[in-house]
Amino acid sequence: MSTAITSRDPGYPTDRENYLTNSSGILSWIFTLDHKRIGLMYLVGVMTAFAVGGLLALAIRLHLLDPEGWMFTGAEANNIYNQVFTLHGAIMVFLFIIPSIPAALGNFLVPVMLGAKDVAFPRLNLSSFYLWCFGAIFFVSALFSSGLDTGWTFYTPYSTTTDTSVILATLGAFILGFSSIFTGLNFIVTINTMRPPGMTWFKMPLFLWATYATSIIQVLATPVLGITLLLLIAERTMHVGIFDPEFNGDPVTYQHFFWFYSHPAVYIMILPAFGIISELISVHSHKHIFGYRFIAYSSIAIALLGFLVWGHHMFTSGMSSLTTIIFSALTFTVSVPSAIKVFNWLATMYKGSISLTTPMCYAISFIFLFTIGGLTGLFLGTLATDLHLHDTYFVVAHFHYVMVGGTLIAFLGGVFHWWPKMVGKMYNEFHGRIASLLVFLGFNGTFLPQFVLGSRGMPRRYATYDPEFAFLHQMSTYGALLLGCGLLYAFIVLMASLAKGRRAPANPWGGATLEWACTSPPPYYNFERPPVVGDPYDFHNIEWDSQEEKYISTEPERKLVPEEQPAEVPAHH
Amino acid sequence: MIPALTNLTRPMPFLADVEDSFWFPKQASSFASEVDWVYDFILYICIAFFVPMMAFMVWTMFKYTKKKGTKAESQVTHNTPLELAWSIGPSVLLVWMFVQGSISYLDMRTPPEGSYDVGVQAFKWGWTMDYGSGTFHPELHIVKDEPTKLSMRSTDVIHSLYIPAFRAKKDIVPGRYNYMWFKPTVASEKVSDEELAKAKKQSEGSDGWDYDKYQFTPDGYTFFDLYCAEYCGTNHSEMQTAVVVHETQEELDAWIKANSSRPEDQTPAEWGQLLYNRRGCSGCHSNDGSKLVGPSFKDVYASQHALASGDNVVVDDNYIRESIIAPKAKVVAGYQPVMPSYKGQLSDDDIESIIAYLKSISSNTAAPAAE
Repeated sequence: MSTAITSRDPGYPTDRENYLTNSSGILSWIFTLDHKRIGLMYLVGVMTAFAVGGLLALAIRLHLLDPEGWMFTGAEANNIYNQVFTLHGAIMVFLFIIPSIPAALGNFLVPVMLGAKDVAFPRLNLSSFYLWCFGAIFFVSALFSSGLDTGWTFYTPYSTTTDTSVILATLGAFILGFSSIFTGLNFIVTINTMRPPGMTWFKMPLFLWATYATSIIQVLATPVLGITLLLLIAERTMHVGIFDPEFNGDPVTYQHFFWFYSHPAVYIMILPAFGIISELISVHSHKHIFGYRFIAYSSIAIALLGFLVWGHHMFTSGMSSLTTIIFSALTFTVSVPSAIKVFNWLATMYKGSISLTTPMCYAISFIFLFTIGGLTGLFLGTLATDLHLHDTYFVVAHFHYVMVGGTLIAFLGGVFHWWPKMVGKMYNEFHGRIASLLVFLGFNGTFLPQFVLGSRGMPRRYATYDPEFAFLHQMSTYGALLLGCGLLYAFIVLMASLAKGRRAPANPWGGATLEWACTSPPPYYNFERPPVVGDPYDFHNIEWDSQEEKYISTEPERKLVPEEQPAEVPAHH
Repeated sequence: MIPALTNLTRPMPFLADVEDSFWFPKQASSFASEVDWVYDFILYICIAFFVPMMAFMVWTMFKYTKKKGTKAESQVTHNTPLELAWSIGPSVLLVWMFVQGSISYLDMRTPPEGSYDVGVQAFKWGWTMDYGSGTFHPELHIVKDEPTKLSMRSTDVIHSLYIPAFRAKKDIVPGRYNYMWFKPTVASEKVSDEELAKAKKQSEGSDGWDYDKYQFTPDGYTFFDLYCAEYCGTNHSEMQTAVVVHETQEELDAWIKANSSRPEDQTPAEWGQLLYNRRGCSGCHSNDGSKLVGPSFKDVYASQHALASGDNVVVDDNYIRESIIAPKAKVVAGYQPVMPSYKGQLSDDDIESIIAYLKSISSNTAAPAAE
């Protein structure tokens, strides 16, 4: 067989093509309809929100250094603590985790992975970003008016009686909900209608499957949150008597409403992370993803089953025994598809050719941390143990392992993976890996002790605590400081790359999905003509060019079949 | 300065008691061994999965990390029998967890006939246990090996009663009764009289009794912690009380009798101060002039207050009595109408004693002249 190969490499974009530089001035960003620019603006927004939420988390941990409270002092110490943990939760959930992967990375990637020029509705896309900003402003103004001390869950009747700014904050969450719905709707239409010729459903990258499943939840569940928050406002202002027992309402009804959205929302947060990890593991192992269909179907299964398990947040609330047991059974079913994914990722690494790049380091720590997060969920799904563990630090540790160890780590992995594509610069691999190690160690230092705290009986949301818990709380705080340093380090690595990073080639990692077929950064029109669609996980034709430090797509020389002249067609039959 | 890690000298510095295990506090109810057993079993299953999976991952990480450009050894895309096996196989264990968890749960939900019944009233931020016949106390006193049922209600927001040593928890939802039960299996111990006398002397002059510091109640019993586990506002973390388990019913009856009314040797003002701390007044009304949820009690007696309705009121015996029985009738301007009624929960003598206590911390003790 001939060894002569031809390579396909799009090279580098000119300044006129580069989406970052093809037009300039602040207005070209404010009114942009380019999904890539909107994605980048979202990225700056969610990272800012994450920084604020993260600083609040550090304040919480510093306060808990001492059983009597260390950070905040004076008569208002407990109130300040309550406001700080409320804002930490609300900012992280509504402003960071929910939009992080779908809105920031998803906006950038969905059209490029489809070989398309943009999303289906670019104007809707821009308006979703402005709604996000608008909702964020409501939230921040709640912070600066009279604070918010309900916890991010707004449980009634506490939220209908507290004199902090519940209405302002719920309006913020209401607006953010619309931003989320718009993004979800846009992606559903884009993926349904704009796949290029040849890309059947089962030739889509798994990130798109995950995004699709997420979008379905966003469109179906978020309206329920809107309804709930409107009812809450009506209860507060007009005493309609649906949630407040003083007016013959039932507070547990509120919990049903709230978790009917907020449990599926957990999957809005974690499903896109699954999508990223599927990409990262396969690309950096240079091996076909193992069990494509099982992974794709499990995303859809999680999206559907996720709607049926909300009651497991309320096992101690006094629901009937039968309801409680049914919710416990349903909860166990949702653990199966998550387990399938982890097994498939491990099988993908086996006999691969692994490059321990920074994104791969995050992917590996994701598998470690998410597995702990998933397994500890079993203790909470089991009724007998949940009665003891509910509302303790065990739960806090469990959901941080899923949301931070899962979603945040996958988000970081995704940012490091697609950073060269987004900004056209390579970062320093050595420092990137050190930062990921610090994040991994700091995270475990923060949250492993909390499992023990919880099973030993330490309740959540306590501003002060009994002295016997002091040692574990202090361990957790030192872990959090290390985690904070690691995250700052990772941020500096990214920023340094902007200033002095090497120019990024089109395909720095050897990926086979379509985003690696255009230049880094992509031209504003993404692709001149629709790219050739193949198996997104077929790495046979991708070769490492060690001189230029990049991967190139190669095509083995093909035998040209001489074109056949069409037989002359008789003029009559 | 950030405080350093304390207690590093002890091998397991976070174990409060030698009888604690690594994961759990002492087992002090019939549920505890059951819950711990299920927990341990799930833990072993998790370890049995987690350790091999992670060992496999780390092994592949080292074994298959290759120079860039190396082709993968295999490009296998799937193996349906294998995938089905690892999807369905572990489900058997999930079914076991569900069944065992539900069986134990049903047991924990169903109080046996003839359980000893204690009424529980939760409020921001304290507890009142109702022992019947007019005896109320913030501590929960029960009898060893006697199934005990709690009938719980809340006067304001959702609370949750949690006793870690019993592995028992239940939310308390306003507008309905919630029930829970347990059977304590370990009795509290009584500390020596000298130790108790020493602690009492130390705590003189300070507000209330520091349970965490002494680790026994003002009556000299060791106790189990009782927490509020559902976030309920400012002092959620201080909404704690003690559970004392008596050896015999007679011992409990004697304790109830001793706490049912003012002892002969106490003045009304002393008894009033005790009630002020014990019945939750101190959570919202300071006795040093600082503003909490409600007006401070210092110098309140015979003072004048503007009401939310716009009227003025002089704080006399009648106003105090009314404010205890019907707190929302005349609310002082600048405060929320959030205080629960104590109607039927304080005897005439109790109210009299509280008034005497308020007089004792006010500079103006002469009853104001009726207008």
